[in-house]
Amino acid sequence: MTQTQSTRRSVRILRRIVASEYLVLFLCLAWFAVLAPVAPGFATPRNLTNILAALLPLLVVATGQTMVLITGGIDLSVTSIIALASVAGSALVTGAGGLLDASPLAVPAGILTMLAVGAGVGLLNGTCVAILRMPPFMVTLATMMFFSGLAIWSTQSRSIHDLPPGLLLAGGNVWISAAVALTVALAAHLVLRRTLLGRWIHAAGQNPKAALVSGVPLQRTLILSYLICGLAAGVAALLITGRLETGSPVHGRSQLLDIIGAVVIGGTSLYGGRGAVAWTAGGVLFLTLIDNSLNLLSLSHFAIMMVKGAVILFAAFLDTLRSRLTTGT
Amino acid sequence: MTAFAIELQDIDKRFFGVPVLRKISLSIFCGETLGLAGENGAGKSTLMNILGGNLQPDSGRLLLAGQPYRPRNPQHAAKAGIAFIHQELNLFSNLSVAENVFLTDFPTRAGIVDRRVLRRRTRELLDQAGLDLPPDTPVHRLSSGQRQLVEIAKALSLDPKVILFDEPTTSLTQREKEHLFSLIARLRSRGITLIYISHVLADLSRICDRVAVLRDGQVAGIGPMADFSHDRLITLMAGRSLDLQFPPPISAPAPEAVLEVDGLSRRGRISGIRFQLHRGEILGIAGLMGSGRTELARLLFGLDRLCAGSIRLERQPIQHLSPRQRIARGMAFLTEDRREEGLCLDGSIGENISLVAAASHTRRPLGWLRLDSLRQAVAMIRDRVRLTPTARDSQPVRTLSGGNQQKVVLAKWLLVHPRVLLLDEPARGIDVGAKHEIYNLIRQLAAGGAGILIISSEIEELTGLCDRILVLASGRLHDEIPKTAFDPERILRSAMAGAAAAAAPPNSALP
Amino acid sequence: MIQSPAAATLRFAPILLFLLLLGAFGLSSPRFLEPQNLVNIALQSSSTAIAATGMTFALLTAGVDLSVGAIMFVAVAVAGKMVHHGQPIALAFVAALAAGAAFGALNGLLVARLRILAFIATLGTLFAGRGFGLWLTETRAMNMPESVTRLGTDRWLGVPWAPLAALAAVCLLAHAVLSATPFGRMIYATGHDAEAARKAGVPVRRILFCVYLISGLCAAAGGLVALTQTGAVSPKFGEQKEFAAIAAAVLGGVSLFGGRGAVLPGALLGALLIQTVENGLVILNANPYIYPMVTSGIIFLAVLLDSIRNRAQHSLPGGGHP
Repeated sequence: MTQTQSTRRSVRILRRIVASEYLVLFLCLAWFAVLAPVAPGFATPRNLTNILAALLPLLVVATGQTMVLITGGIDLSVTSIIALASVAGSALVTGAGGLLDASPLAVPAGILTMLAVGAGVGLLNGTCVAILRMPPFMVTLATMMFFSGLAIWSTQSRSIHDLPPGLLLAGGNVWISAAVALTVALAAHLVLRRTLLGRWIHAAGQNPKAALVSGVPLQRTLILSYLICGLAAGVAALLITGRLETGSPVHGRSQLLDIIGAVVIGGTSLYGGRGAVAWTAGGVLFLTLIDNSLNLLSLSHFAIMMVKGAVILFAAFLDTLRSRLTTGT
Repeated sequence: MTAFAIELQDIDKRFFGVPVLRKISLSIFCGETLGLAGENGAGKSTLMNILGGNLQPDSGRLLLAGQPYRPRNPQHAAKAGIAFIHQELNLFSNLSVAENVFLTDFPTRAGIVDRRVLRRRTRELLDQAGLDLPPDTPVHRLSSGQRQLVEIAKALSLDPKVILFDEPTTSLTQREKEHLFSLIARLRSRGITLIYISHVLADLSRICDRVAVLRDGQVAGIGPMADFSHDRLITLMAGRSLDLQFPPPISAPAPEAVLEVDGLSRRGRISGIRFQLHRGEILGIAGLMGSGRTELARLLFGLDRLCAGSIRLERQPIQHLSPRQRIARGMAFLTEDRREEGLCLDGSIGENISLVAAASHTRRPLGWLRLDSLRQAVAMIRDRVRLTPTARDSQPVRTLSGGNQQKVVLAKWLLVHPRVLLLDEPARGIDVGAKHEIYNLIRQLAAGGAGILIISSEIEELTGLCDRILVLASGRLHDEIPKTAFDPERILRSAMAGAAAAAAPPNSALP
Repeated sequence: MIQSPAAATLRFAPILLFLLLLGAFGLSSPRFLEPQNLVNIALQSSSTAIAATGMTFALLTAGVDLSVGAIMFVAVAVAGKMVHHGQPIALAFVAALAAGAAFGALNGLLVARLRILAFIATLGTLFAGRGFGLWLTETRAMNMPESVTRLGTDRWLGVPWAPLAALAAVCLLAHAVLSATPFGRMIYATGHDAEAARKAGVPVRRILFCVYLISGLCAAAGGLVALTQTGAVSPKFGEQKEFAAIAAAVLGGVSLFGGRGAVLPGALLGALLIQTVENGLVILNANPYIYPMVTSGIIFLAVLLDSIRNRAQHSLPGGGHP
């Protein structure tokens, strides 16, 4: 009797946790609490700074991805954008034969190039999805392959060194990085919560038919959200280039699944219409914590990959479960 | 041994709390053809869906040949010998005729589809259905009449004892219709029990032994077909329903037109529609299913492209404008299907109500929302439409009842002060209280000077609210009825006559 | 429904494109159209074509299988490991196919039972599969003994027969399953409208499960063919092969929206098309770095054509995967 009652109560609590917006923060805390005593050097200030440094570029890209996912789309090309933007911006200003080498305009021009590349690819993606009505997954898959190929071809697969310190500043100093990343995240948060565009993005993902009937400019909304996503990837390119002090066509290469995984684990729905930058931040934190702590436990690359794969599947399962819980089917 | 093929006893069914069938009891004899008549929404299709296993009754009993019968799904019903020919055809257009007929029951040899047997058996069934087509024809090449016959062939493959037809002639040409009737006569002579739903009374008289009239989810009359003249049928169908009361008009329409429509056409759907909507007028659009009512509204709002004609809103031509621009000029469209096109169900009440108005509560150039003024506006409009006060603004719309959801859609539009409202089935599927409140709102809006176009399949609703009613049939304006001549029977008769007069419905023109 | 010339062109676009490419490359280099080179194209495309055959099953149900490359890697890692431990090659290959089937079954469970969106489910197994493969190979490259590579190079009538035989067997079998079994026809019904199929009594869940199982099995087979040709298991084996497989299927006219397309000539033609481009670029001495750009350009074209064909059915942009 009491046993069934207590099971019922624990089921209810479990339900509430699964349905909670902050599920992932609970998971982060739990992970931290479990591993802090076990993993050597996990809870040290030095390691926490490391975690932060690894987390920031991811947060920026994932923020942009959140917008696109809320519209019911997806952007697989973000990592290629990072690579191409990094290469383009670096090539322009490198001491080893860049066009603007030693020019006073080098730093702003380099930064602007990175952002422009991001916005440009985003615009292309958005146009294909909104105007040509191509499926987002395939469009961004093709642009992912193309622009990654372009970045590798244009550098012949070599990294670009000898960059002006001004360009590296944003990514090199963890506090400036943090300021940049938080600005991007905050701006995206405000766009989603406090602007007309944010309303439109949500409506487009929740019910495009109803949105159209209600006068939402669907095409413009979609194009803008892909553009913002590309722009965010451009900012991430700046941070990563600065942190690693090179422009490289393989920057971000293996991070695509981390990015989408982080957003989904945070609770943004793959079906569109539901999501938040704050959730994504939680997802990014969780994935970075896992990565970092598994590394500290000196687990190998493959174990980390397997754990991540399992975590993504688990998150996707929770998402399905959650939508079933809330719609009651 | 019972003589009844099917007995329904006290069947009740509600959708979202709204009763659709109320304690229906009906017995159908073995081998008879029973016609089912009734206005849209009287419960005919729901009843058929319960028999066909698509829906389960809330209470009551079904007997099939004297045995209790509770179909859980269509396959179960089919196995019990009940086949259902749907109004909308459920064929897979990427497969062939034969594959559609035998999709879940392929004749095989060693696991491979035995094409020879498949072709032979399909040809036999097609012969029975009177369709002369190679069994390998892909379904996407068939006309809707041919698809109907394929559906029937598919039903025959299960050797049914009862076949349910739900408005089978709506998309057929005259020739295809004749063909269907002779097929029905053959099925009858084989002793198969048929239940036949139709709006076309002449068809009912021609093929049915008995007829049952449904009204408000109850049987209004039943008996041998010969005892029911068309007049009597229409009187029974349109008879006063129990609990509807309409608020009296507050004001009279003004003489100047707010919306002028001329020569409006869309190929195969709408042709040459011309009318004017006046300030403060409530104009009704009546017509049977498939008459082009919803298509007309979509054209007026700019959701579909028109082929010809002009639309003028307060003298300005608007036919080239997008829906968004028409909204800005003062147009609003409450769609027929609020879940599909009216609401973002996962969005909150506040988001939904403010979706249209948000554009005018922003600070340039960033589109920064003035949340306070928006919140005030939402609170005010919630009051005005009398949305349930217990629901919070942040609550998902999905959690509301049908009536309150409809109020959210109305609130969304009222917030932008439209001068022309297109209301497609504004009171469908909501409870009586909410209906009454929505009717009141419509009256107030008209008194405030808006022009209102109401599309409804409930004729009572139109006669109770409107200043004038246009009857649409087969995409044409068939009749215009002034308030002094309002009579539910006359409207129903006009709509049916219009549909019957159109010998070849529009889509028969397609190959 | 009468087909307009434009619709007919769209329908035969892959074949037209293929002939156009053959013509263009043939004109620019006489070596290109030599029989030996054409056989080479078929050989080089066989692994991708086999994987694309499996992918076709998933795409026909309006799903997708992103774990194809990872499954190829896992399968050859299993085979390589067993060969290194002195097991007979036949046993090693059977084990590799079993590993592919197991991963496919996992995908099937995730999609059909847990109702996880196909692409996120297979994205997860992509990750897990890559990790598992790396663990098996200890992140090292493994060279295969000659007994394995001989399978890929042994000639019969002057042609390396084993890869071509495998390609023919898989394509013909898949074609037979899709066009001549009840299961195959129900796949088409499911892809056309899963809800209507369920109502009509089609066991939709079982079909989805089997489709991913088949895709996993084909991926493993494709991996083995590639293994006999390259003779080595590297940590990057099969990387991005899923994209090549999707591209091949879509190029061959398999719709991303489900219910339309075929293995023969469809997916096979698509794979040949992509390989023709790469082969032509090689013969023209193009910079190898531009291959992915050209390939993705062609994929883009194929997707664009597909969405134009689907314009009528999907009137709203943006939402909905794939």
